[in-house]
Amino acid sequence: MKSPNDYDHFAPEWCPGCGNFDILVALKQALYDLKIESNELILVTGIGQASKIGFTIKCNLFDGLHGRALPAALGIRLANHTAKVVSISGDGCFFAEGGNHFIHTMRRNADITVLAGVNRVFGLTKGQAAPTSAHDYKTKIHLDGTGAEPLNVCRLALVAGATFIARGFSGEQTQLTELIKQALTHRGAAVIDIKSPCVSFNKINTYAWFKQRVQPLGEDHDVTDWNAAMRAAEETEERIPTGVIYRVERPVFGDHLRALQDGPIARRTTDFTPERVRPFFAQFK
Amino acid sequence: MAHLNIVLAGAAGQGVQSAAQILGKTLQRLGYHVYTTQDYQSRVRGGHNFMRIRFSDRPLLAAVKPIDYLLALNEESLDIHLPLLTADGLALCMDEDRGDTVDARLRALSEDIGPTAAKGAKFVGVKLLSMLMTAIGFSPEVLKESVKSQFGKRLKPEVLQANLDAIEAVARSMNAADIHSLPFAPAQTDEHLFVTGNECIAMGMIAAGVGVYAGYPMTPSTSILNFLAGAGPRAGIAVEQVEDEIAALNLAVGAAYAGARAAAGSSGAGMCLMSEAIGLAGITETPVVIVDAQRSGPAVGMATRTEQSDLLFMCHASQGEFARAVLAPALHEDGFYLAAEAFNLADRWQTPVILMDDMAYADAIRTVDEFDPTQVTIDRGAIAPEPNDVTVLRRFEPTESGVSPRAFPVLSKWLVAVDSHEHDEVGHLTDNIENRNRQHAKRLRKLAGLVAEMPGPEIVGDADGTLLLCWGSTAGPLLEGAQRLRDKGHKVGVAIFRYLYPMNVEKIAAALSPAKRLLTVEGNELGQLGRLLRMETGIAVHGHIAKTDGRIFTVDDIVELIEPRLGGER
Repeated sequence: MKSPNDYDHFAPEWCPGCGNFDILVALKQALYDLKIESNELILVTGIGQASKIGFTIKCNLFDGLHGRALPAALGIRLANHTAKVVSISGDGCFFAEGGNHFIHTMRRNADITVLAGVNRVFGLTKGQAAPTSAHDYKTKIHLDGTGAEPLNVCRLALVAGATFIARGFSGEQTQLTELIKQALTHRGAAVIDIKSPCVSFNKINTYAWFKQRVQPLGEDHDVTDWNAAMRAAEETEERIPTGVIYRVERPVFGDHLRALQDGPIARRTTDFTPERVRPFFAQFK
Repeated sequence: MAHLNIVLAGAAGQGVQSAAQILGKTLQRLGYHVYTTQDYQSRVRGGHNFMRIRFSDRPLLAAVKPIDYLLALNEESLDIHLPLLTADGLALCMDEDRGDTVDARLRALSEDIGPTAAKGAKFVGVKLLSMLMTAIGFSPEVLKESVKSQFGKRLKPEVLQANLDAIEAVARSMNAADIHSLPFAPAQTDEHLFVTGNECIAMGMIAAGVGVYAGYPMTPSTSILNFLAGAGPRAGIAVEQVEDEIAALNLAVGAAYAGARAAAGSSGAGMCLMSEAIGLAGITETPVVIVDAQRSGPAVGMATRTEQSDLLFMCHASQGEFARAVLAPALHEDGFYLAAEAFNLADRWQTPVILMDDMAYADAIRTVDEFDPTQVTIDRGAIAPEPNDVTVLRRFEPTESGVSPRAFPVLSKWLVAVDSHEHDEVGHLTDNIENRNRQHAKRLRKLAGLVAEMPGPEIVGDADGTLLLCWGSTAGPLLEGAQRLRDKGHKVGVAIFRYLYPMNVEKIAAALSPAKRLLTVEGNELGQLGRLLRMETGIAVHGHIAKTDGRIFTVDDIVELIEPRLGGER
């Protein structure tokens, strides 16, 4: 790669001003800076505008079902634990339809980078509430507000067991690129809660709304202190602390499996001859 | 057929299974053919469980009802099973379990027989086994050797010794009039494997090179998950117990995309959760094997009871149109070879392949000839030759067969994109009319190729009389039952469908056309095989024989259900 634009693939088709453009630029820059080659990378996406970032980057792509990107990503990691796996999608995909998978992927500390574009609304289906929408957020369906507390992505990730948790803002390009680079080089489940305005459907959580609230975490924030991380994660309405919230080392899913110790299973498949079953007959004699 | 049928019965937790395991393994090692079924409830303690252990000098394919020896571990078991004890059979129990049962065929053992160290509930099983083995003419050494080899390492030395002393003492206490020698000799054959249906399938998957397997515990599919997990470290299989069945199949599809041979398994309710991902495998043209171990439904149904009611569901699960294959092993051996074949079909046609069994098959333990791995071939289908430079793969290039060469991401220089949306040749989403027509037709062309490969049913017995159509576990009891009906003078044959979908009209019509009458025999009420047959081939069956009480078909059930339907034609 000679420049970040060498990753360009299909042209993006978002609304002008969409936060996803900024996420795309930051991701390409991070991939370029880390010298990750196209064929070393597998993007695993779901359904929603954020997941369409997958089409815009020239690499391997598994564009799966709504909410089911993470189990597919885990399957890819089991078949080939040397693959660099990045999952990109939005609030609905990761936290509504796919909430259960998100919890269990974090709990496993699978070596997957999760880039969650959080715009607090459903864009693709035109303006319904997301799990991250505010309690009083009104839509065509929620005439009286959602009646539910917005899901806090970073706190959920913390409680579920992710080992790298950061919060970024699509409007803070330099910081976001840096956060993505750190997530990509982290070994384990790395989540970035990327605040990203939907210019067409969310008239409340706008650029200006986010811009007024985002504030980088102070240098005194201890990223290894779970309680401090919980406090930093807690704030999402009046002030939105950004930066690395939590980072620790913990065994990665798959490290425990003896089956993976002799190299990627996908590579070993050619060695799996039918004779490999013969030793299992003895126990039945 | 000369055989003996033994029933071991008691409450959950009393050791019915361990006693049956010792007995089955002992008979297998003596050289007999053994067929064992389990009937249990979804509970850890109490209730009523029983196992049938049938053995012979010839291969057995099913269970029978009449009991030659009943080993009752509690009083309730006597009440339940005595009505099925043959006139010259024997019922064996401990003295305190006889209650007020008065029966000339009952032999109750005093608690005083055997060492004091072998008193109590834990020794009842072994004592009754000693009574049985003595009654059928074996020296106590046979059972003692078996207990030593199977449990010697697990038991404390003094407990093992108490077991051995109890076997000896009980054997000596038996009345000479109750001791008979067996009416048949052990089979003079090569060594057998004594395996469940699910173990056959799991070993077939290992032979096929499965690398990733995902599941969530659900009876009766759990034993496949257990077996592959146990084999994983040695064979190189990554097995994961996932959060739900949705994750299971999405995980397997992801693993298959990345290049492993991958599978997911569950029972019917889990299949409901997997349905969307079956379509994902369809549109992304990802080879994946899905095991549906059926049980009673709908919803949770009866957790430990059998049924064959998922057939139409599995042929149609997931919306949209795409190619798939549905296979079902009928006899234990099929499980091994068909599971291996399922992966080849999946790879060759880049499509999901569903392998269906049912609880009656999954749990039945049978002696089979050792499987022959040299008969298993591995065909990974069309793989794109490696390019010189990193290049986007035209993964979905239309071809005559509908199959386009694939490549494994990261392991090659191809960039491989697959999409759950409709997509173009490079895997990019589009709803362009010409592209849709081209890609949809390409995917469905694979169905024609699959149809051509699908064999017709196997016909056993008379093809030109009443033909009994079956699939799955019903085949075993039908094969034995049809033989009994032929012995009575009826013109009866069995058609075993192992390749259920898609159906090859010509082969099926040729196999069925000599028959005067077609009856389906299935563990479902609606006659699903008959409906599928009519839909796929236009062939209509003349009747359906159903069993949906959740209990297995025995040979006796088959004869009782079918004989009245034969209408006196002899």
